[in-house]
Amino acid sequence: MNDAALKSDTQDIVVDEVFPHAPETIWKALTSGELIARWLMPPTGFEPVEGTHFTYQTTPAGEWDGVIRCQVLQVIPKQRLAYAWKGGHEGNVGYGSRLDTVVTWVLTQVETGTRVRLVHSGFVLPKNDTAYRNMSDGWKKVVRNLDAIAAEQDSSKSLH
Amino acid sequence: MVMFEAANITAVLRTLADPTRRAVFERVVRSEEITVVELTRGSGVTQGAISQHLKSLKQAGLVSERPEGRNVYYRAEPEGLAPLVDWMSHYGVFWRDRFANLRTLLKEIDP
Repeated sequence: MNDAALKSDTQDIVVDEVFPHAPETIWKALTSGELIARWLMPPTGFEPVEGTHFTYQTTPAGEWDGVIRCQVLQVIPKQRLAYAWKGGHEGNVGYGSRLDTVVTWVLTQVETGTRVRLVHSGFVLPKNDTAYRNMSDGWKKVVRNLDAIAAEQDSSKSLH
Repeated sequence: MVMFEAANITAVLRTLADPTRRAVFERVVRSEEITVVELTRGSGVTQGAISQHLKSLKQAGLVSERPEGRNVYYRAEPEGLAPLVDWMSHYGVFWRDRFANLRTLLKEIDP
């Protein structure tokens, strides 16, 4: 997707925590298929080698089979790992809709261990409505958008 | 699996496609807890119809019930709407969960 307008309209998720472990240990947890399976999901075909394609099986939705298609984009041992994270289908709304994102892990050694920063970037927000973003206080607002969602579903159904 | 039951999207949408049922749901959302009698009052619909709508909402995971004495109290279940939440909310929860898993795993392999 090369649409500049879309790109400028994307949002990132950032999780940033310090773990009391050495960067080597964390790197192993991020790049060993067997270990990834134990804290994230079992990857299929993962190798910490740039260009490698791999997948995750997640919950399907509508016409989407639930497969997250990834490609390793960058590997700097013990420092940085980035991969493309794509999935979804145009026919879906919300979960299961088209997803074209990048997951980046950055490790920095600190006194107490390693700072692990995850950036999941490239989310296109529906109608730019920030109320969608936060389930904890946003879900009552989601209710207000149900009419629109139901209408969209109905109109897409009548096309088939 | 911790992930939201996205397979229920269709069920949730179908349940909420009915305007009366959606109105019932919105009233449950606005109240902390509410009974069938209270929901029927001023709704212009019979108590039996309200009960049917509540049953459908319950099946879709959108409301839960709590019997107390002769009354049954209904409250909204935010998680029922999870399938309608966008990817960003989904992964916001997902990655925080996985960070917790990662912390546990690291403790195991590097005590």
